[in-house]
Amino acid sequence: MRVVIMGCGRVGAGLAQQLVNEGHEVTILDTNAFAFQRLLPEFSGRRLVGSGTDDRTLIEAGIEQADCFIALASGDNRNILASEKAKEVYGVRNVVTRVRDPLRSELFARLGLKTFSPTKFGINLAHEALLDATGGQ
Amino acid sequence: MYIIVVGGGIVGYGLALELQQVADTEVAIVELSASRAAQLRDELGEMVVHGDGSEIAFLEGVGARRADMVIAVTADDGANLVACQVAKHWFGVQRTVARVNDPRNEALFLKLGITTTVSAAAAVMAQIETSLPQHTLVPLMALQSAGLKVVDMRVQSGAEVSGHALRDLKFPSGVLVAVVVGPQGARVPDGDTVLVPGDEIIAVIPHEAEQRVRAMVTVEDGM
Repeated sequence: MRVVIMGCGRVGAGLAQQLVNEGHEVTILDTNAFAFQRLLPEFSGRRLVGSGTDDRTLIEAGIEQADCFIALASGDNRNILASEKAKEVYGVRNVVTRVRDPLRSELFARLGLKTFSPTKFGINLAHEALLDATGGQ
Repeated sequence: MYIIVVGGGIVGYGLALELQQVADTEVAIVELSASRAAQLRDELGEMVVHGDGSEIAFLEGVGARRADMVIAVTADDGANLVACQVAKHWFGVQRTVARVNDPRNEALFLKLGITTTVSAAAAVMAQIETSLPQHTLVPLMALQSAGLKVVDMRVQSGAEVSGHALRDLKFPSGVLVAVVVGPQGARVPDGDTVLVPGDEIIAVIPHEAEQRVRAMVTVEDGM
């Protein structure tokens, strides 16, 4: 599978390594080359400095031939813009978008993006841990 | 009519000043930066709200549910897209207008059904003119009240700008080249657009920048 990952934070870097280990062809983007230090030195995927919302960067990353695009940059709005572009303009079939704001995540899921909100998972986990600790009182 | 303007930069400010003059129109201007919001508030008063125009919970608080129109004019296309989609699909706002900073994003915005897309301050003004119910003409020249004016210049052979891409030109701050009219017709320029002699450019510029801009586009003839 040819995968383009936008954002080389902890999640992006970890996912990139995992996908490469599984034999996928990975290109990871970040606007700041410094972020690539999170990748293991032996990481064999492609690192590309640029923004996932920028068409030139996307094309250079091979978006036109990509099977998957996942947006993991820090800003929700940027992730949404890049994902809509990957899906609507470049016809990438499998597009996944991280949207931290649970409400925005819900809205754009309704509008056809495959979104997930780590904040929502965090709230659920915190809530569960809290109720466990207090025995539900 | 209730209009929410997202973004209090030069375009949002100009819009707010104009919309303030329109009868039976209530305007809220949403600005993300606290210092910019405070500055705008000194001049425009209560209509300025400090907040994030793509945050659903915040928009609820400024009455997005009863808004007739949301105009997103920040310098960030992602924020503009999200503000418009949230307005339309979460709050049911009928008309949404987004400023498109990168012209390559325009087709996407249209495809997503954002009512209207625009590429420059001038076009925002034109859109509002046609969107408002009655006559309410918002002449481009009224940008003057925001310290701006629209100028129309022809690039002369041998001028400082001639043969250079827009991104390489050091125009004074606040200058927006909105339209370039060349032999192939009018186009909305991007950073790669190269100005050649004979091109006509329409730009929105701060008053104080006019002399400098004219000097860059034309050749001094000793007059």
